[in-house]
Amino acid sequence: MTMSQYAAELCALLIEDQFGDLFARIFTTLQRYERLPLPRLKFYSRLTERQLHHGLAAMIQHHLVFHFTSLEDGNTYYAANPQAAYYLIRSGKIIHLVESRLGEYAARVMETILYLGHVPIKHLETLPDLRYLAPPAAANGVVKEEEPGEEQEPQELDMEAGKETNGANGDHAEEVLQKPAPLHSTLKALASHGYIIRVKDAHFQSPEDNYIEAHKAASNRSDIKMLKGKRLTEELLQKTEEILRERTDGDLSEGLMVNGLPRGVKRKIANGVPESASKWRQTDHNGTNGNHADDDEENDWSEDEDGLDNIPMEPSLVLRVNYEKLDVALRNARFVDMARDDAAPATAEVYETLLRRIEYVTKRCRDTTEIPREGEEGEQFSIPIETYKIVSDVDPHLDLSGCMGPLNPASASVNRRGKRPLENGVNGDNHYDDNEEEDNADDDDDVSRAYEINQHLQLLEQAPHNLASHVRLSDGIKWRVGFRGLARKLRHLELERLVEMRYGDVALRVLRVLHAKGKLDEKRLQEISLLPFKDLRQTLASMQAGGFVDLQEVPKDAQRQPSKTIFLWYFDPDRVCSSVLEDTYKAMSRTLQRIKFERNLRRDFLDKTERSDVKGNEERWLSEGELEQLQRWRNMEAILLGVVSRLDDMVAVFRDF
Amino acid sequence: MAFNSKFIPQAFVVPNARKLSEKERSEVNHYRHLRERFHEGPYYSVLDTSSSSAKKGSAARTNFDPFHGMPSYSGRYQKKRRTLPKIANIGREYETRYFPRELWPTIMPNFRPNASIDGFHAQTALSGMKRGFEDDEDEEDDDAAKRRATGADEDEGEGDADEGELLEGDEEAEEEIVDDDFEDDEDDMGGDYNAEQYFDGGDDEFGDDGFGDGGGGGDEDTY
Repeated sequence: MTMSQYAAELCALLIEDQFGDLFARIFTTLQRYERLPLPRLKFYSRLTERQLHHGLAAMIQHHLVFHFTSLEDGNTYYAANPQAAYYLIRSGKIIHLVESRLGEYAARVMETILYLGHVPIKHLETLPDLRYLAPPAAANGVVKEEEPGEEQEPQELDMEAGKETNGANGDHAEEVLQKPAPLHSTLKALASHGYIIRVKDAHFQSPEDNYIEAHKAASNRSDIKMLKGKRLTEELLQKTEEILRERTDGDLSEGLMVNGLPRGVKRKIANGVPESASKWRQTDHNGTNGNHADDDEENDWSEDEDGLDNIPMEPSLVLRVNYEKLDVALRNARFVDMARDDAAPATAEVYETLLRRIEYVTKRCRDTTEIPREGEEGEQFSIPIETYKIVSDVDPHLDLSGCMGPLNPASASVNRRGKRPLENGVNGDNHYDDNEEEDNADDDDDVSRAYEINQHLQLLEQAPHNLASHVRLSDGIKWRVGFRGLARKLRHLELERLVEMRYGDVALRVLRVLHAKGKLDEKRLQEISLLPFKDLRQTLASMQAGGFVDLQEVPKDAQRQPSKTIFLWYFDPDRVCSSVLEDTYKAMSRTLQRIKFERNLRRDFLDKTERSDVKGNEERWLSEGELEQLQRWRNMEAILLGVVSRLDDMVAVFRDF
Repeated sequence: MAFNSKFIPQAFVVPNARKLSEKERSEVNHYRHLRERFHEGPYYSVLDTSSSSAKKGSAARTNFDPFHGMPSYSGRYQKKRRTLPKIANIGREYETRYFPRELWPTIMPNFRPNASIDGFHAQTALSGMKRGFEDDEDEEDDDAAKRRATGADEDEGEGDADEGELLEGDEEAEEEIVDDDFEDDEDDMGGDYNAEQYFDGGDDEFGDDGFGDGGGGGDEDTY
């Protein structure tokens, strides 16, 4: 992957921010000169042998550098891995995502894996950080407060731990802290979601080297050698792809899925709605009855998993983070945001459930490495998901009917159901009766809920976004998502947002007209967009200066006289996307440089706060003014990093989705 | 007047960024927490630490800040930055098969080049056989292992690698070798006076840029 100037600069800055400038020097040298053997690298980077050896070893550990030992000359070549470097900025998002889905402990495991680069499971077992549920350094009071939230994880994954913690009130907290954390089941949950994968040899080589090797291996096969001509090239290509996939695929999720669901996920959804979940918690702590209900429900689903759960994962298995899959998850989160913007919360929730189901079987955002050109990209639909699966996944306490218009009169019970969460809120004991009722009316409910869910998804199917689409089969309706079209939509929306912000709504209208109609001369454009000439010309000129629209000359005669030339305005989304992407890289690297600069301004002060005696007990050693200054600095850095992370969202839209 | 009016400061409308949402704040905090761990970790390393303890004549010494850089009592609490990532003995085992062979001595302090570790080793040895000078290298590696305690192995290994370069007939590399040998010798002798480096002491720009006409160390005297 060749990097543009600003992307390269950005990667180097990110590495410097996280690992220091030795790594950044090595990385920049490798980026500038592409792959190099050690002596050359030493020559260009002007580092000593020791620095290089240590730096490279650590960078390989973090996948920041590819290496390749050639069979022909025996030399080892090193190359930069810009992808891994770029994803350093996404680490915050990744950890947050894991935390919101699988709980605090899983996030901690994830962070540790990120911190270590790649790591065998047996090493994770030895780490003191991961041995207990609560972080060892945390103050007790804080931990207790968070207890219910944290307990989610073990309840889901570890029956024994779950039962104990259910009864645990404040005074039992100590005991719980000392309890060994369910590392293996958490790892299994992460693996079955696809967030972590097995490390393979091919992960340490650049994609190009992998391809060449796979190609060689494919062409050496005896059945390939038999072929000739066109068939040969076709077969070769196919076999190469196959070998390549086999070598790079470290997927661990197979065999860990239960009924098509990753482990540890079901409970999360059941508790997903904050109100109902917190109510349940409260009853747990108040009365003993609450416990029963919880336990019963757990038994319902976790029995079949228990057998599997006891088998620890292979200790010598080496793990790393799977960025491709995480991109899928982040993309889905983005679509849910889109749905949330113009639909009811319940609809968004249903949509999220659908996307979650699809996510489990989607390995990466797209199959091609580059985003295809506009108009040349066919739609690829995700696998269709049956409605009943969504019904079973969706939080049973979600109010589905409240935001829909009145349905057919047969759904009187549905309306009653719709109010139920509210009733629950009044009195914690009530849900017993409801549970029984639920059993009786189960079949009835399922049908009507399926109907409601279909209604919600049909709402999303509508223009302008077409977030979902359905296929009608003999055994009912299935739902699927056309990801390529949606990704394109996201790109367009992002461009439109930029244009509106920079040039105003007139420009946005012009842009949309151009996009819909293709190339237009000024007169036609004016007729369609219903704008006065003056405004139109001004807007077009400023947009052209910004590179969003362009002008094509079509001369009528050989002299190319302006009076006899047709000028056509057009908007090329591909070109604009790539230039905006570059601008985004530039903005990100400028922001990071700004952080560096600001830090330098306060270097003496920040050095003081980092002193080994001051760090950790700032309140004790710093004066009031200094504390305030520190807080100000942290806030400012947070804002700047937040800006970088917003820009990263844009990069994701233009490059990754 | 019209000319001047251009320079009257205008009231600009500076766009303000949205406030961070709860989610963004949490993401930023996660990012910072991980970064903090990296900074505290064994790998974070900077190129120069400007302090008076820097080696005499080195670039770090020249950048020394006489006002804030003087060693003081509270300096012992000052955060020390390493200039070299700590690789070995940090309670972390490396998956050797994922690293190139030339880095094995770095990640395993008690690495013995000849002892067969796993299947992967045999494979590299096999591939190495294709090199013409494989035998020499093995011998030298042996020597290197024996002399490990003296710390002289670095030069050996490097000379060896450079030989590979020489075989390719690269002129720049030739010059490079000469230069670097001096540097490392100096390291070994504890910064003793070195006539070869009298004129370009401290900055090795000339040698490294390849401005020299490729004649090697001998020509450098004439600068």
